[in-house]
Amino acid sequence: MISRKETKAYANQPPRFDDMICSLPAAPKIPKAMVKETRKVVALARKFNQEVVRPRALELDRRMHEDPDYLPWDMVETINDWGLYTLWIPKVFGGKGYNMPSMCYFIEEIASACLSIANLIGVHYLGVCTLTSTWNMRLINHICREVTLGEKNHTPCLITLAITEPGAGTDVEETDLIGKGNITCHAEKVAGGYRLNGSKIFISNGHVSTWHMVVAYSDLKKPADTTVVLAVKNGTPGFSFGRKEHKLGQKACPASELIFRDCFVPDEFVCLDPSQVTASQRPPREIAMQMIDYVVSATRAGVGAFATGAARGAFEAALNFASTTVVAGKPLINHEWAQCRLAEMYKNVTLSRLTYVETNYANGLHGAFRELQKKPMYYYYKFMPAKFFDKIMPPLMNKPFMTRLSRKVQMDGQTDDEMHRTSGWASLSKFGATDLGVKNCQMALEMMGQNGLRHDRGAEKILRDAKLLQIYEGTNQLNRLNLFKCLIAVDCPQATVFDE
Amino acid sequence: MITPTDKELKLIDKASAEFAKKELAPKRAENDQFPFGPFFEPVLGKAFALDFFHTVLPESIGGMGQGICALSVILRNLCREDSSLGGIVFTNAAAQILMLAAEAGDTLSEITGKAGSVRDFLIAFPVFNNPSEIAPAAVAKKRSDGYKIDGRVDYVVLGGLAAHALIPARIEGVDGFSFFLIDPADSGASVSPPIHSLGLNACPAVDLALSAVRGTLVGAPGQGAAIFDTMTDRLSVAEAAMSAGVMKGSFQEALEYAKARQQGGREIIGWSGLRMILANMAVHLKNAEMIITRAGQAVDAEESGWQACSRAAAIHVQAVACDVTTDGIQVLGGVGYMKDFGQEKRYRDAKHLQALLGMAPMKKLRFIEKITT
Repeated sequence: MISRKETKAYANQPPRFDDMICSLPAAPKIPKAMVKETRKVVALARKFNQEVVRPRALELDRRMHEDPDYLPWDMVETINDWGLYTLWIPKVFGGKGYNMPSMCYFIEEIASACLSIANLIGVHYLGVCTLTSTWNMRLINHICREVTLGEKNHTPCLITLAITEPGAGTDVEETDLIGKGNITCHAEKVAGGYRLNGSKIFISNGHVSTWHMVVAYSDLKKPADTTVVLAVKNGTPGFSFGRKEHKLGQKACPASELIFRDCFVPDEFVCLDPSQVTASQRPPREIAMQMIDYVVSATRAGVGAFATGAARGAFEAALNFASTTVVAGKPLINHEWAQCRLAEMYKNVTLSRLTYVETNYANGLHGAFRELQKKPMYYYYKFMPAKFFDKIMPPLMNKPFMTRLSRKVQMDGQTDDEMHRTSGWASLSKFGATDLGVKNCQMALEMMGQNGLRHDRGAEKILRDAKLLQIYEGTNQLNRLNLFKCLIAVDCPQATVFDE
Repeated sequence: MITPTDKELKLIDKASAEFAKKELAPKRAENDQFPFGPFFEPVLGKAFALDFFHTVLPESIGGMGQGICALSVILRNLCREDSSLGGIVFTNAAAQILMLAAEAGDTLSEITGKAGSVRDFLIAFPVFNNPSEIAPAAVAKKRSDGYKIDGRVDYVVLGGLAAHALIPARIEGVDGFSFFLIDPADSGASVSPPIHSLGLNACPAVDLALSAVRGTLVGAPGQGAAIFDTMTDRLSVAEAAMSAGVMKGSFQEALEYAKARQQGGREIIGWSGLRMILANMAVHLKNAEMIITRAGQAVDAEESGWQACSRAAAIHVQAVACDVTTDGIQVLGGVGYMKDFGQEKRYRDAKHLQALLGMAPMKKLRFIEKITT
């Protein structure tokens, strides 16, 4: 009927089979215990929502309206006490080691009750993900174990990613653009480390975090080739917090300015720089893009989960309103138009969820999660006692060969096709789900009339919170272009991207 | 109407545009902090002195005797800078037009004639609910000395501000609902603190709880729905003008930013993807202006089918304004989400305005009902 050679050829025609569907090849490889574990995580999120988020979300948002400079330390401490800042740190680094895709389901749940509190949790893992994507095992171990210690001591230790600059937002997320961008955060190589100058803005969770993964450049004329990632801790001389932004929504999650003035970062806190990857098969420029792609392939799926939560929160608000309100003489829920609208909103929630789920299948096959989700590795980490890792692993992680080995596997072991697949799907989830999330918020408010306008009914907050989803983690315009680059242009030799 | 040719309209256009630029734009963010910051009382006073609240009142009762086009021009200009004052002007105009439709001109004349201050002049009104959709929760009982009203009225705009409130209530034993004029300072009326809302923050709304509050019937008993409909026919195009003003502000801010902000080595307006967003915004804005111009003319001239023109304009422009203001933030990226620029406020205000005079989907159903029966 069809030969093996023909099968390969036809399947590789665009859209390539491997790009089209990631769940089919991924599903059989998934350890069964992941399902049970994910169910537990969802249940935990619902418990946290019931006991913490729902009773406090509106009050916290109102408080931030009254005093925009208020910092939600009490909420951060509560999250820390619930153990949520170590839930997805691998056990080998002192965390609880829950499977990475389960985070998105968790985030969806929390976001359905409050996007802002979901960000207080989720954005910490953006920092964790950046740190781990440098594959610097010594520093990953060092910093993640501080987070774990912070949990034990009831002193939250959060991590941020600091990449956006006052003159460059979109540019810093693409090595093809960064050389043309207005980049100012300079990491000058000096004896024993880097001297950092410049500032970063819109850094989510900045003011409530302890460690900052700062992406800077040792040569501002060639930033793509000289990208460095530095771990800067609060209290480092030359580092200070600037203004806390006053935002439309997501008010409980501070967006901060980080200022660096001759801030010396010693070599021991250099997570990644070109000198560390000389043995890599890829040049530093491609390594920088690969690192960014490792991060955003995971975290843009996370934004898809945030957006699914927003869409769901809006749907639930509209459903509740329709169920309890009489309009034009009969319950709104019994108006046919309202039923169609609620069905449309439910569809938007489900489609959004499918995008982040599929993206995480891609990440499990080809991206940041692939080693941790291999069955032997997964069960090894799951069933080995934490004490074993706490005792044996830290000294081992300090050995340079661990970082070399890890980078060999993760950086050299990922093909360009795999990188494109994970990155393209992540962008699809990011802009697809966030557009639907905002759409659902608008639909909910339309259904609720004046009730949708009131802060005390909750729906208007979701609309305000959701808008940020279309902007951060790369604007939706950038993500459309990234999808084109990763999943479309690869089969169009005449196409160029970011080169209009 | 949007680009007036009539001399009088041109003067109104110029005066309101200058007022908005001078009095509203500089303190937009500060005024938006209400109820967590001070109320912009001096601005309200200046708007009163310029007769913005007299626009649609007949000259016979001390008004300007202007039509919907004039009101729309003023609202469009105010909302381009800050919709809150537009919300106050609109609410008051809605109450005035409703009273005129109910043939309660004498009562209205008494209010406007005696008013010593803007607060005395203003009439609060629950302008975001069509009582035919969500039925009134207040009940009026006829006593020998007039009507006494019990129950509650939610989201009464200008409720904590105005010396009078026009509210819907059911009359015991009478079908439908009716409108009543009440004094919010009546000993039986309890006024909530200003309600924290999505947009139009300096156009405050409150919840009213009523216990045996004296009410003056406005219009015939049980005729509230018909009166509200008549008011909606006339005022819908003015609603649309408010949304168009917000759109215009959003587009202008986006365009200026796109010319100044660099990305990828050039101004972002140089990237065709971004230009496409701006083009969509501009096309929506231009269409909205044309629709409002034509609909306004139809309303003022009472052309055949003017009611449908007015309502269709509002439904369309309000929806489009929500899309345009969403893109308006998007063009600015992260800074568009921050309070430093006006875009985030316009995003909130556009959605808020869409709920004027009732739920957006119900307005559509009412429209199709109107043109098919």
